[in-house]
Amino acid sequence: MDEWEDVWRRQTPHVLAALVRRHGRFADCEDAVQEAMFAASVQWPREGAPRDPRGWLVRVASRRLIDQVRSEASRWAREERLAQLRETGPARSTDDDPLHLMILCCHPALTKASQVALMLRAVGGLTTSEVAAGFLVPESTMAQRISRAKATLTRHGATFPAPAPQEEATRMAAVRHAVALLYTEAHTRSSGPVITDAALTGEALRLARELVRARPADPENLGLLALLLLTQARAASRTDGGEIVPLEQQDRTRWDVGRIAEGVALIEAALPVGPVGEFQLQAAIAAVHAEARTWPDTDWTQIAELYRLLDAVAPSLSVTLGRSAALARVHGPDAGLATLDPLASRHARSHRLQAVRGHLLAEAGRREEAVAALTEAARLTRSIPEQRYLNRVVANLAVPGP
Amino acid sequence: MKYLILIHSNPRPWGHPTGDYLPEFQDQPAEVRERLNAEFEEVLTELQNRGELITGEALGDPTSSRLFRWQDGERLVTDGPYAEGKEHLAGFFLIDVESHARAEEVTHRFSGPGETTELRPVMS
Repeated sequence: MDEWEDVWRRQTPHVLAALVRRHGRFADCEDAVQEAMFAASVQWPREGAPRDPRGWLVRVASRRLIDQVRSEASRWAREERLAQLRETGPARSTDDDPLHLMILCCHPALTKASQVALMLRAVGGLTTSEVAAGFLVPESTMAQRISRAKATLTRHGATFPAPAPQEEATRMAAVRHAVALLYTEAHTRSSGPVITDAALTGEALRLARELVRARPADPENLGLLALLLLTQARAASRTDGGEIVPLEQQDRTRWDVGRIAEGVALIEAALPVGPVGEFQLQAAIAAVHAEARTWPDTDWTQIAELYRLLDAVAPSLSVTLGRSAALARVHGPDAGLATLDPLASRHARSHRLQAVRGHLLAEAGRREEAVAALTEAARLTRSIPEQRYLNRVVANLAVPGP
Repeated sequence: MKYLILIHSNPRPWGHPTGDYLPEFQDQPAEVRERLNAEFEEVLTELQNRGELITGEALGDPTSSRLFRWQDGERLVTDGPYAEGKEHLAGFFLIDVESHARAEEVTHRFSGPGETTELRPVMS
C-alpha cells in the first residue's frame, strides 16, 4: 500500500460517517465515498495531498452524491431529494465512526460473508475489485453481493449512528465474529495469490485494533486482537513450501517474538477484567502454546482446563476436539478418544473429527483404525494442503515402522 | 464455500436449454414444463442477485470434443466423445454460497426430468 492509499483509506469510515450523518442514505453515500477515493487516487499523487484530506474527501463525495441523485431521480422527485440533501449541518465526524460503521455493516440481517465484504469496503476502504480478489470471486459477483447487502440494510431501516448503548455489546460481538472470520478465511487460504492473503490478514488485524482503540475496556476486544496477533506470530512456520507443518513440528525460532509479546500482554491485561469470553479463552490457549519453548514443554493441563472453560461459554465441535487433543496429552490417547466417541454419529462428515480421531488412534497403536479415520478425513476436507498433509500421514502409517 | 454444479444430460439433437430436447422433459404436461422453466430462471436470477453466481456455461455437442491422451510416450489426439455413457457433461455453474445446505437447495432446483445434476465441492 503506498502512502497516499493509506491516507485516504484511513479516512474512509470518517468520511462515510460524516456523509451519512448529513444526508442519510447509507447505500448512496457509500458509493459516493468510493468515487471520492477514486478521485483522490488520481489527483493526490499528481498534485499532492490536500491540507485537510478528510474535508477534501467529504466535499468531493458530497458532490458525487448530489450528481448521483440528479442523474437518477425523475424530475419532481429530484427537486425534493436535492432539497433534502441541501439541508445540511456541518460534516461532523467522531472517534466512534469506524466502530459504529462496523456495527452497521455487521447487521444481523446480513450473511457473515456479506458483513465481511461490506465492512472491508465501508470501513477498510477497499475497492470492490480488491474485496473480490480477496475472496477469489469475480468483481461482478462481489459487486452484486455488496449492493444487495446495502439494499438489505436499507430495507431493515438500519441507520447510522448505530445502536443504543445497551445494544452495543451484542452488536460488537457480531463484529468480532466477522473480523475473526475474515482473519481465518485469509489465514487458512491456500489458493490464490499470496499477496492477497497478507492484505486480508492485515485488514483483519487493523479492524481488530480499531475495536480495541474504540472500546479498550471491553476485554473481549483485547482477546480478539491478542488471538489474531498470537496466531499471526506463527504464520511463517505454518507452511513449508506450501505443505502444512503441524504445530508439533514447527520451527519455533521462526515465531514472531514481537507479536507474541504484544499478544501475551493484551491477554494478561484482559483476563483480570472479566467476564472471560470466548476470544480471551482462545487467546489464552494460543498464549500457552506461544510461550512453550518446545512441544513437550507445553502446559497441556492448563490448555485442557482453558478448553473446558471455552466449552462452557462457546461450545462447538472444534472446541471439543481441542479439548480431546489436550486431554490425550495429559492422560494418554484413550482419554482423548473417550471424549470423541459420543460425537461420531452426529459429526460423521466432519474431517476435523476424523483427523483428530486418526491421530489419537495412531498414538494408541491402533494403526488400521487410524489409517481408516485419516483416510476418511483426507476424503472429506476441502483444503488442498490439508488433504496433502493427511495423505502423507496415511502413507507414513501404511509403511510398517522399523 | 464454492461448489460446482454439473449438468449431465443427453439432449437429442444436442441443444440448450437441454430440457427442450429431452423426451422425458417434453413428455411432462405443459404446466409442469412451464413451472420447471420458471423455477430454473428464478434460481438463476436469485443466484445473480445474491452475489452467489461466479460463472456458468453451456457446453457444445460432446462429439465435437477433442481428446488428448498419453500413449507410448507421446500425446495421442482423437475425436470425442469422452465417454460413451448415457449422459454427457452439458453445462456447469460455479457458485459461492454460505453453506452446504444452500448449495444442495440450489442444485435441487436446477435438476429436472431426463438428466442428472451433480454437486461437487471446490477445493481451496
